[in-house]
Amino acid sequence: MKNMLVAENVTKTFDGLVAVNRVNIVVKENTFTMLIGPNGCGKTTLINCCTGILKPTSGRVLFEDIDITGWKPHEIYRVGFVRSFQIPLPFIGLTVIDNVLGAMRNPGEAPFKAPLLKKWAHVEEENMSRAMDILARVGLEKHWDLPSSALGAAQLKMLEVAKGLSSGAKLIALDEPIGGVDPASAHEILSHVSRLKEEGLTFLVVEHRIDIAAPFADYIYAMELGTLISEGPPDKVLNDPKVIEVYLGKEVEAC
Amino acid sequence: MSTHGHFAEKFKDILLGRAFHMSLIIFVLLAFLYFSGGTSIILSILIQVAVFSIITMSLNLEAGYTGIPQFGRVAAVIAGAFAVGAIPGRIMAFFMSLPYGAEYASDTVNVKLVPQINAVLAGSWLLSLGFLLMCIVIAGAAGALVGWLISRPAIRLKEAYLGISMLAIGDFLMWVGHNWNIIVGGSVPVYVPDPFRIFGAARFNVIVPAFFLIAIIIFIYLNRLVKSPLGRNFRMLRDNELSASAAGLDIVKVRTQSLVIGACIAAIGGGLYVIYTGSVAAIGMTRLTFTFWPWAYMMLGAIGSNVGVFLGVFLLTILRTMIIIYRSQWFGFLQAAGIDPLWLEYTLLGAVIIIVILFLPYGLVPEKVRPMLPANRVKKVISQKQMQT
Ligand SMILES: Nc1ncnc2c1ncn2[C@@H]1O[C@H](COP(=O)(O)OP(=O)(O)O)[C@@H](O)[C@H]1O
Ligand SMILES: [Mg+2]
Repeated sequence: MKNMLVAENVTKTFDGLVAVNRVNIVVKENTFTMLIGPNGCGKTTLINCCTGILKPTSGRVLFEDIDITGWKPHEIYRVGFVRSFQIPLPFIGLTVIDNVLGAMRNPGEAPFKAPLLKKWAHVEEENMSRAMDILARVGLEKHWDLPSSALGAAQLKMLEVAKGLSSGAKLIALDEPIGGVDPASAHEILSHVSRLKEEGLTFLVVEHRIDIAAPFADYIYAMELGTLISEGPPDKVLNDPKVIEVYLGKEVEAC
Repeated sequence: MSTHGHFAEKFKDILLGRAFHMSLIIFVLLAFLYFSGGTSIILSILIQVAVFSIITMSLNLEAGYTGIPQFGRVAAVIAGAFAVGAIPGRIMAFFMSLPYGAEYASDTVNVKLVPQINAVLAGSWLLSLGFLLMCIVIAGAAGALVGWLISRPAIRLKEAYLGISMLAIGDFLMWVGHNWNIIVGGSVPVYVPDPFRIFGAARFNVIVPAFFLIAIIIFIYLNRLVKSPLGRNFRMLRDNELSASAAGLDIVKVRTQSLVIGACIAAIGGGLYVIYTGSVAAIGMTRLTFTFWPWAYMMLGAIGSNVGVFLGVFLLTILRTMIIIYRSQWFGFLQAAGIDPLWLEYTLLGAVIIIVILFLPYGLVPEKVRPMLPANRVKKVISQKQMQT
């Protein structure tokens, strides 16, 4: 299996706070790779560094062996790597299907072609047909014409996944796709994701509720205070004493 | 599905109702002004409605659809006004072997030059039409250039900072025009050759349909633009920049596209305005008239709906005109209390903005959330999909 994403010694500091400290991860093709760790340990920051939202302070990010360190998000999108956000950021002034269409390209985006329906309508129709397929794959096909502001929390999470899928990306990073969602919906979301993996996609999933997500994972990285503390297949990482101590231990205490 | 359709129908009825009521109010006020002030007031209102519809639709493209804090609408309007004041007349002067350099804008020369140009224009309707089209093209080009220049700081600045810098650029251009004589005469207004001179006393009667035609063309163009994948990109940028860039948009490019197209259209509005008034006074290109009022028109009408913009412009232009005409008559008593009725225009502006924010946050005709493709084509695609499953 080839490497889709490689983060080499990625470090990110915010005014002296080391949010991510020399982290190395590898996401192999067609896997469900998970990144776990307690709140504030730097998971989102690491994803931001990989997808161009933030520039790493040091270290390198490679996507399919191309150095994408410091690229802009739309440039990274173009090579086939997209991400979703922890807090869903739908385009609230657009319908559900337009949220998906927005991540597809169309000649009608050019200013001189946009007013001429003929120049872009056929591509839009093809895209729309594809968008309906994608919405069906994440269970949103019935809501295609609703304003996205009308969706519930779990549906918004799925819309984020659909936006990722629509771009034709090879690797999709999902930042807490089941955060704040009830266990039944969470299970449904993850089943959708793992079905998409069967179709050939690769996922890097940040998750904080490992009990629900771990059964779907092929490989897990565990972080704590900005550093990696464990990695491996789920049974190995979840039984790692370090993980149990810093992660599960705290969960139990919190209960 | 059927309940959803039913709801949509009901919603539509309410909207139509509102627009209808607005039109009634506008009609009654117009009738009142007609009987109390005569045709000239009505013509002047209609011309202003056409010009400010153009300017406000351009603002709506940038602020309403793209979410840019465009607080410097006046800058692009000035670009169009100055360009029309400075360039087409000089081109005419050049071909007529008249002075066309710096001296064209000097008050003593300009006052003699422009009547000569007007005499030539009045002799040929073809030349007049050509001159009008040239003015529009020059204004649009000047606006596009200024829009592009303004979009440069927009690469780095966001929201409030961007808004403030645009506000400053607008004032800056006004003062440059006021103090740099060779553009449009500085503190002495420069005259604009008149492509409507050929119609003599019926000048205003022709300007009204001509300007409305231009406004309608721009309305159709903009409605097509915002109902396209580019229009969707604008809305994506408005709704969430981060998410838009993660969906593959080069946000600097999209923002620039909106600013350039918007400025081009606003400048055409500015150019038409000075053709109508017949002169360019730099100091008259104020942010009150060309930034703040367009914002109020847009907010009342609807952010993101050009039909709403038109209603907003129409109603408020009438109210503004009434205040300007009748302020000393009706509000003379304020003078006794030491309040200059001149301030009533600002008061109206403030009141409109407060009322809209409190009671009509989405304006009179809110934007409808619909797919970009026309409904019949959408239906075709969707029903094909449903047949498959
Ligand atoms: N933009 C930022 N500026 C300053 N500090 C930040 C910023 N983003 C994240 N942090 C800090 O970095 C640390 C890691 O945050 P984050 O990556 O969001 O954690 P996680 O996603 O694992 O919950 C936290 O201490 C957080 O406060
Ligand atoms: Mg996070």
